[in-house]
Amino acid sequence: MPTLRPTLHLDRLGSVIAGLIALALFASPFVTYRANRIVSGEGRLLVDALPPAGALVTIAVVLGVALCAALARKPLVRLAAASLGLCVIFPAVGFSAGFVTPAGNTFARVSPAIGFWLLALAFALLATDALTRLRLGPWGRLAALSIAAGALALLLLSGAWNDLSLMKEYANRAESFWREARQHLWLALGSMGAACLVGLPLGLASHRVPALRNAILQGLGIVQTIPSIALFGILIAPLGYLAANVPLAAALGIRGIGAAPAFIALFLYSLLPVVANTMAGLSQVPADVIEAARGMGLSPRQRLAQIELPLAFPVILAGIRIVLVQNLGLATIAALIGGGGFGTFVFQGIGQTAIDLVLLGAIPTVALSFAAAIILDAIIDLTRRGAA
Amino acid sequence: MIEIEHLSKRYGDNIVVDDVSFTIGEGEIAVVVGTSGAGKSTLLRMINRLVAPSAGRVLIDGQDTTTIPEDELRHRIGYVIQGYGLFPHRTVAENIATVPRLLGWDKKRIATRVEELLDLFQLDPGEFARKFPHQLSGGQQQRVGVARALAAKPALLLMDEPFGSLDPVIRGKAQDDLLAIQRRLGTTIVLVTHDMNEAFHLGDRIAVMDQARLLQYAKPADLLTHPAEAFVEQLVGTAERPFRLLSLMTVQDAMEPGHADGEPITVSATLRDALAQLIWRGRPVLPVADASGAPIGRISVDGILKHGRPLA
Repeated sequence: MPTLRPTLHLDRLGSVIAGLIALALFASPFVTYRANRIVSGEGRLLVDALPPAGALVTIAVVLGVALCAALARKPLVRLAAASLGLCVIFPAVGFSAGFVTPAGNTFARVSPAIGFWLLALAFALLATDALTRLRLGPWGRLAALSIAAGALALLLLSGAWNDLSLMKEYANRAESFWREARQHLWLALGSMGAACLVGLPLGLASHRVPALRNAILQGLGIVQTIPSIALFGILIAPLGYLAANVPLAAALGIRGIGAAPAFIALFLYSLLPVVANTMAGLSQVPADVIEAARGMGLSPRQRLAQIELPLAFPVILAGIRIVLVQNLGLATIAALIGGGGFGTFVFQGIGQTAIDLVLLGAIPTVALSFAAAIILDAIIDLTRRGAA
Repeated sequence: MIEIEHLSKRYGDNIVVDDVSFTIGEGEIAVVVGTSGAGKSTLLRMINRLVAPSAGRVLIDGQDTTTIPEDELRHRIGYVIQGYGLFPHRTVAENIATVPRLLGWDKKRIATRVEELLDLFQLDPGEFARKFPHQLSGGQQQRVGVARALAAKPALLLMDEPFGSLDPVIRGKAQDDLLAIQRRLGTTIVLVTHDMNEAFHLGDRIAVMDQARLLQYAKPADLLTHPAEAFVEQLVGTAERPFRLLSLMTVQDAMEPGHADGEPITVSATLRDALAQLIWRGRPVLPVADASGAPIGRISVDGILKHGRPLA
């Protein structure tokens, strides 16, 4: 008779995560200390980066999470472990900054080092994997995102990170940070909105008129292959001419460089996904559904509004998702030609070899793209009404 | 009454429907049969003007259909296709409500009508109204498709291979259900099929088409006994003829006075079924009973066989 013995189950991904955690904990610096913001720094292991008691607790928690990752099977337990880990190391790195900085020294900079990032990556992986295994519905995923965003806001507002170099860079530029954030969103969302306004009718037209289809798709395909820098260059001449000769254009702030060419470039890059997905969405509507709608006396407009567009909507939204995520990232480039956005900090930071300034521009960009992807995926799922 | 007058459809040099004329009486089922590519579907689609005729016209109760705006005409004609074309993003109730909503019926009237139709098609409203098409079996989808076509109480129903994607067992049941509902509502039906059994089972009259032409339009029995062309004879199947003929008549038609022993056959059974009973039970005669079970006569193998060929 076979005996039922509880066996030790080793989770494969979890073991990799545990390995990652061990590597981060014992072989990589947790924070970097620099005498000022542009010199290169020295790494501090976690044990040296916090007061002894704090370091002990942190290490214990982190090791516990590693153990959970390797052994725990219930997704909820794994998610709880990952969340606990994140809730410990994020404040810890902030406290560490205060601990490592000599009292009264305002030039010294402390930033999270490779060890912290590896831990964050490991916990995030664990959390994502657990969330995937939980098979959350769209509302669940949105809730998870809100909780994460709330926790992050709480962390930043509580001042726990104020001693970190990243937040010092922010504190020096708080005003311009929010201005560039608005500019970044305006560039990314505005060009997306314009692309939808133009792309939806264009997609509809190329679905209805096969002769148009190839011309439109090939034209937009060519635009996609032009590198952004080259596209900016191409746009300088016509926009400069427009600004010089049309007073209204100049009054609207259109110039050869700046936000206008960036906006137009993002708009042009956005057209292909919108047009192609609108077309694909419309053409995957089953022929017998259209036939039945015609046979029941739905007018062409009713067919489009009540049948074709609702059925094509998830595919169109998928195109919009591509555009949004792409634009949030691509808008960074606008700073190259004075278009503003988070790219401003990235390029300033590169110029000054101030890596924390680069991160001040890069992290919000990544966070925005990430959140946009989750939100739109959830909306797409919610609109797939009645799908198998 | 539907009058089809000299209806033709040409695509370039290709003639798809060639000068077809026939008339469908009020409350009748006309079945259009023929091989694929014979022009059946095109003919059907010209009735609700999904296809514009090249020549000829269609009159519904004396009114030329071209005088009615296209969409308005289609609101008045039910239409069922082989794949049903149910709207996947709408519930069963919303699907059925399509035409009433287009016609601007008020919500209460629509809800009542939807419930009535679901009951009629033996779909429990509580269970099915909120389901989406992909949650239904093939037979249920078919019923919803027909219910949707009947929602605005059309006097005419067009059906293009409506049972084509059902398996044989469900198909037979669906055909019987359609017949029962048609008899109850008195809807005129034009049904296209390539299945001869279906044509004989459902049709009050059968129109045989081949290569764009209407070869014969007649009652099923006439089609068997007086085929107009060799193709019609071939299509109905020479070996099948006697049995098809018997299946068109009931015991009533061949009943003789007198008594016989054994389990009685009901007077409403088809002669084909009665013959099957006689063969299987190894009896030359069996008693006939009316609906209440009272014996009213007898039926014999010889008597049935006489009806299996054209009367001299």
